[in-house]
Amino acid sequence: MKGKCYIQGLAAITPQHTFEGDLSQPMVVTRGNMLSCVEPDYRSFIAPNSLRRMTRVLRMGLTASLKCLQDSGIAIPGAIVTGTGKGSLQDTERFIKEIRDYEERALNPTPFIQSTYNAVNGLIALQQKCTRYNNTFVHRGFSFEHALLDSMLLLHEGTSDVLAGAFDEITPEHFFIKGRIGHWKKETVSNDALYEHVSPGTISGEGAVFFLLAPTATAQSYAQIGGLEMLYKPSPEKLKTALPQFLQQHGLQAADIDLVLSGANADSNHAHYYQVLNDCTQCPQLPFKHLSGDYETAGAFALWLAAQMLKQQQIPSQWFPMLQQQPARLRNILIYNHFFGEQHTFMLVQAV
Amino acid sequence: MEELKQKLKVQIIEALNLQDTRPEDIDDNAPLFGEGLGLDSIDSLELMVLLERQYQIKVEDPREGRKILQSVQSMAEFIQSKQQPA
Repeated sequence: MKGKCYIQGLAAITPQHTFEGDLSQPMVVTRGNMLSCVEPDYRSFIAPNSLRRMTRVLRMGLTASLKCLQDSGIAIPGAIVTGTGKGSLQDTERFIKEIRDYEERALNPTPFIQSTYNAVNGLIALQQKCTRYNNTFVHRGFSFEHALLDSMLLLHEGTSDVLAGAFDEITPEHFFIKGRIGHWKKETVSNDALYEHVSPGTISGEGAVFFLLAPTATAQSYAQIGGLEMLYKPSPEKLKTALPQFLQQHGLQAADIDLVLSGANADSNHAHYYQVLNDCTQCPQLPFKHLSGDYETAGAFALWLAAQMLKQQQIPSQWFPMLQQQPARLRNILIYNHFFGEQHTFMLVQAV
Repeated sequence: MEELKQKLKVQIIEALNLQDTRPEDIDDNAPLFGEGLGLDSIDSLELMVLLERQYQIKVEDPREGRKILQSVQSMAEFIQSKQQPA
């Protein structure tokens, strides 16, 4: 990727107190395998007449995007690009149940409209009166990453700025369905003790995270997205050669990385992939999924964390009790995440 | 008729998730769209679905729908006219 990409604004609604961007908040501990977002007061962002119709992920997505625009000082972005693994599950479930209950007759239009993946993008565009490029990627564990790649390409082609984001929710019904294919741990764990329970499966999560991206840095920049690479079902050997190559492509060596944020999630089925980090890096590695849970677009939360840490030059120790010593400086953060062993991503996030 | 209008108001509030509205806040003759309750075109579709689900009345002609959904009064009158034995 030749062009530069800077994070000029951001906002996150996650299972932690992230909405105000305050890294000193205590860790939210959930006893149970399904982490839910700490939701803000939506009425400050969305008119009551619109709010009444929106389900949870739409409220989260729209509010996070508006807060991000507010943070960046830009009202109408040059493009709106998002990624979602599941879209609005609540609306999808309601629509499907109504098909059954009303025998395919008298179907309510709202859950159908809102179950479409691009509903959040539509709401943002309507609210901000933004008629520019608008796209939503739905590529399972690569959904956010493709949105990010598209955003970077748009910046490279001359778009002034891009609102890029991701949103996903979990519902009890979907949790049950994914549990049947082994996504979640059989035993009930607390998120603060996740890594003590290495066994098949992990804990579920959700979140809505947005970034305002621009091609030039300013004093307000949080960080630079220096590199992005996606690998679909790589073998451990391929992964082992891909990481040093990725660093080399961006003019870095393993010793230049100050911190690794890893998607390690205590799932024994896919834990071996994270071995590549031990082989190729020497700096502290911090897993982040005890804070967010696992879901298709958890990578967006990792990027939010990295950008905040770089801007504030600080790692929130109450969120990462496994951190033994704060790094002397934070210049280059490597994110390595994968979604149940299939979609693997390297992301390089750099201080400005 | 009074009972039907009261029931209808409760059903409208529930179907459209009008969180801060109570049945007594809705005037029988106030317009549902625009000024009055401030409903929009998606709400009109939801009200059509309400009539079909709760009263088994299907409004086929959209022009007819506009008249029926003018107010709680007009909706109640329409429901009553459909429920009266021929």
